[in-house]
Amino acid sequence: MHKFLNFILVMTLLASGFVLYSLEHETRGLEREISKHERAIAEETENMRLLNAEWSSLTRPDRLRALAEQHLGLSTLKASQIVTLEEIASKVPAEPVMKLEAEGSDPIGAIIDKMQVQ
Amino acid sequence: MTEPATDRLPEDEAPRRLAGQNRIRLIAICFGFAFLAIAGQLTRLTIFPMMEEAAPRIAAEDRLPRPDIIDRNGVLLATDVAVASLYADPSKIIDIDEAIELLTATVPDLDARELRHKLTTSKRFAWLKRQVSPEERDAVYNLGIPGVSYVNERRRVYPQGRLGSHVVGYVDLDTKGIAGIEKFLDGQGALYTASLAEPAERRTQPAQMSIDIRVQAAMIDEISKAITKFSAIGGGGIVMDITTGEVLSLVSLPDFNPNQENKNFTKEQQNRMTSGVYELGSVIKAVTFAMAFDYGTASLESLYDARFPLVIGSARINDFHAERRVLSVPEVFTHSSNIGTAKMALDVGLERHQEFLKRVGLFDRLQTELPESARPLLPKRWSRLATATAAFGHGFAVQPLQGAAVVAGLLNGGHMMTPTLLKRSGEEAMAMAQTIVKPDTSEKMRYLFRLNGIEGSASKADVIGYRVGGKTGTAEKVVNGRYSKDKRLASFIGAFPMDAPRYLILVMLDEPKATPETFGFATSGWNAVPTAGLIIERIAPMLGVAPVFTPEDLDKLAKLEAKAKKRN
Repeated sequence: MHKFLNFILVMTLLASGFVLYSLEHETRGLEREISKHERAIAEETENMRLLNAEWSSLTRPDRLRALAEQHLGLSTLKASQIVTLEEIASKVPAEPVMKLEAEGSDPIGAIIDKMQVQ
Repeated sequence: MTEPATDRLPEDEAPRRLAGQNRIRLIAICFGFAFLAIAGQLTRLTIFPMMEEAAPRIAAEDRLPRPDIIDRNGVLLATDVAVASLYADPSKIIDIDEAIELLTATVPDLDARELRHKLTTSKRFAWLKRQVSPEERDAVYNLGIPGVSYVNERRRVYPQGRLGSHVVGYVDLDTKGIAGIEKFLDGQGALYTASLAEPAERRTQPAQMSIDIRVQAAMIDEISKAITKFSAIGGGGIVMDITTGEVLSLVSLPDFNPNQENKNFTKEQQNRMTSGVYELGSVIKAVTFAMAFDYGTASLESLYDARFPLVIGSARINDFHAERRVLSVPEVFTHSSNIGTAKMALDVGLERHQEFLKRVGLFDRLQTELPESARPLLPKRWSRLATATAAFGHGFAVQPLQGAAVVAGLLNGGHMMTPTLLKRSGEEAMAMAQTIVKPDTSEKMRYLFRLNGIEGSASKADVIGYRVGGKTGTAEKVVNGRYSKDKRLASFIGAFPMDAPRYLILVMLDEPKATPETFGFATSGWNAVPTAGLIIERIAPMLGVAPVFTPEDLDKLAKLEAKAKKRN
């Protein structure tokens, strides 16, 4: 009887030892994984900072202006180039050249109508 | 396995001995398993080496990061990036000569003699080089010199470069602010900085400035063009939202790039807009006019005799563009008559003149978030002559930002607000604003400014459609205690759109010269004013000011178009 009890106890000891060990092992693994992810996050955050700085530096207004002048032939917007929607509407010929409405679809006209209502 | 001690037991106890042997076998097996397990784990560790459990290289920071700085639209103006700094522990270095040789070979800009000096001290820490590139860091680390290592530091970078220079400021190597808003964040604005921190999240909210970097870029571009064109020694400008007191742009040229390592700046590179005081000349007349209106000693219909120079004691006050006739108040303003303005101030009286200047804050130093600020220079003794000359800006020097703030107060309905470089709402601004003049006075000032924009000295800034108004000023600079005839300071303060003024613009050129296109004139109307016009044309669409054209404007535009066609 004693022998059996001892055997059971030893087995329980071994089993619990094994469970404890494997749990600890698992915990360590998870901890390692956490720190790995934390490092990755920190690295990504750092990358983001760097890329943000680079973006800001590349979109500097003076740089964009120089590029727009050189490659797109753009120049300063004149006040006379700014027109309101009403002015555009007033210059639209009364009779549409293309009878889109008759055909039942005038998507752009619908947008303008909607904006004018607002 | 050694023979167990039970061997020595007598022969007749053999069965018991057998039982004991079993137990021992069991224990032996257990031990065997244990050793096997250890051996197995050892093998595994040797063959598959575990990832080194190093501390995260960047994550573990002991303090909160310094807040980023962004402009009013969220554009990044200053941020921290990680860089490595090399250091040495001299006590750990075994062969100093070898270390020096290896280090100077890897990092070419290290000086051998200086390095030896650093490494032979008894100290336990010496910086070798701060803020090195990742390549340099790896190269030095791979040399494997004991005692030489690196730490990750934060380095402040300014992606917008010189666009921010004076307003953003810069930090030293230990990321401590030493100029501009950067200094504010560490110094008087420490509370504000603390309010941005989110310790639980280990991060800091960015500090949002009132600056609009697009406006800033347009200002720098146009003013530096003007400096070249008129061979000026410097210049500057301010754009302010007069309904909130927010500074949208503050430029002082020559400027600098805050990213450069050498920051030994010359006096010319200081911030002219706040740390220098200038006689703004006739621009100050606006203050005198507002004063006379507010005390009721003058109205828009009053007349002032400008036929003869005004004589006070031994001094004679004369007009630059002498009209030699009786002028109405709007004419005194548009012709910028010194005689008329001096008489207006004398009508108000010495006491009340001083009281009014005190009320608008021109007796006190204006302190904004920028640490660099200068006290106004006023006449020492307040005599009749002092009142008469101060009325048109002589002997009266202020920071340009302060001048702009006062004019903003006169135009926005009489609410004097301390200008700010941090984003602020209209309600916040109104809560702290002080009333300096009656709304009616402000209305009259708007009328005069707009009139001067339509037909007066500020007409070259009146971009068709944007309803610009303003006041020009050309002051003779004081050189060796005397007013110089050929060294001038040209300035312009204007606002737009004048029907409901929202934005104030100040442009200042230091010692502009006459050019053939200006027909030999070097006064403000020929240099600072057209520059302001060019700037307004660029920034008005950015600020959402919609153009409005009167029939006359359309006529003018048509004429300009015809002219342009003819030229082609």
